[in-house]
Amino acid sequence: MPDFSPTQYAVPLFVVAVVAEMIWSRFRKPEAYEPMDTLISLAFGLGSTVAGALFGGAALYVFIEAYEYRLFDLGPEWWTVWWAWPLCFVLDDLKYYWVHRAGHRIRWMWAAHVNHHSSQHYNLSTALRQTWTGSFTFGLLFALPLILLGFHPAMIAIAGGFNLIYQFWIHTEAIDRMPRWFEAVMNTPSHHRVHHATNPRYLDRNYAGVFIVWDKMFGTFEPETSNEEIRYGIVKQLGSFNLLWSVFHEWIGMLTDIWRAPWKHKLSYLLREPGWTHDGSRDTSDTIRKRWLARQRQVVDTTNPVADRNAIADSPEAA
Amino acid sequence: MPIRHPMETDPQIAVFAGSLAAIFALSGLAWWLKLGAKPRLRDDQVVRTTAGQIEDGFDADLISISRNGDAALAAEATGRIMVIKRHGNQFAGRILGASSQANEVVDGLVVDCGEARFGTVHLSLTDSSTWADRINRLSLRNDA
Repeated sequence: MPDFSPTQYAVPLFVVAVVAEMIWSRFRKPEAYEPMDTLISLAFGLGSTVAGALFGGAALYVFIEAYEYRLFDLGPEWWTVWWAWPLCFVLDDLKYYWVHRAGHRIRWMWAAHVNHHSSQHYNLSTALRQTWTGSFTFGLLFALPLILLGFHPAMIAIAGGFNLIYQFWIHTEAIDRMPRWFEAVMNTPSHHRVHHATNPRYLDRNYAGVFIVWDKMFGTFEPETSNEEIRYGIVKQLGSFNLLWSVFHEWIGMLTDIWRAPWKHKLSYLLREPGWTHDGSRDTSDTIRKRWLARQRQVVDTTNPVADRNAIADSPEAA
Repeated sequence: MPIRHPMETDPQIAVFAGSLAAIFALSGLAWWLKLGAKPRLRDDQVVRTTAGQIEDGFDADLISISRNGDAALAAEATGRIMVIKRHGNQFAGRILGASSQANEVVDGLVVDCGEARFGTVHLSLTDSSTWADRINRLSLRNDA
């Protein structure tokens, strides 16, 4: 059985790339980095490896047990089945899309994933801003279908490692757009900037890991527009560089809400989307986007009342 | 189990220590390269835009900017008030509510939005008493 962790080998590459981006930032965009923010993001990265070592064993146990019930068997030397590797990589990326989507749409999952989004910056150090508390969600369940199909947990872990490595380089503002064919199929810096944006237009969009086609397939794709400046972070920015608060703030908020809520609503604070409240006193990404869209329509109505109601005027082609 | 020499470091601890050193080195490099300038809230238009970014749709009607441009207060015609502070080289803000407080100090105002982790915001203002009244009335509004 291969004993191989691709992310371990990639660490020196990560460091070199961060240094290179900092030098780019020095000359082209000094505001792309902030030393305290970088320190916090990298501390998140280090802490997540410690948390993984401490709590990852439970997930591994579940996976090994589940593997005993696999539907298809790739044999005792499963790692020699060459076609299983690309297939596993693609299916693992599909799994990533759904676990990531759940990470944004279910508050319990968001409590862990918010860590990756709470920086107001978007640079390669943000890529390393990984959660410490992922083991306390049900994210591991999303991998079970792959295991039951017969992919060994080690194969899935290696595929997942390469997936993470791919996602590192897309956390940058140094690259504008990739060639059109690449943008059409792959996740890119442009697509992922949209994902990290708090602009109402972009909220809860582009969940892809490696292949952007999943977002196009499942209706969550939004292209980056060049005429709107992107703001990064979360809807309610932390306004604090306290590491422990950054790690646990959403867990504390969620548990407080559950504690205070009437019994019939307690589960909803765990399983519904971030921002949901039983009395509608807070915003979700859906309500923010709805309000923003209504305002955009209002602006169009007042500035161009005739053209907006004219089907010909809507057409991009000359009449 | 292999016997380790008393002076020998556990490889995992060595990796952790090395990573920690690398983290400080990279953050130090960002600081040495002078990355992350300190932006200022220069005028009302910048505050208006920033407030709209912090809370989508926030339509600032009345604005006061702290003298050094690192913080501001903005109020809507509806009565909602937002405090904005510089956070690193970005801005963050909060809509003030019933648990918010404002205390006048010698050179201005200290605003507590009611969230301990967001912290208090010190503003050097000339019209601090008007804002203090406005903010402290928010709690009365809820008590009524």
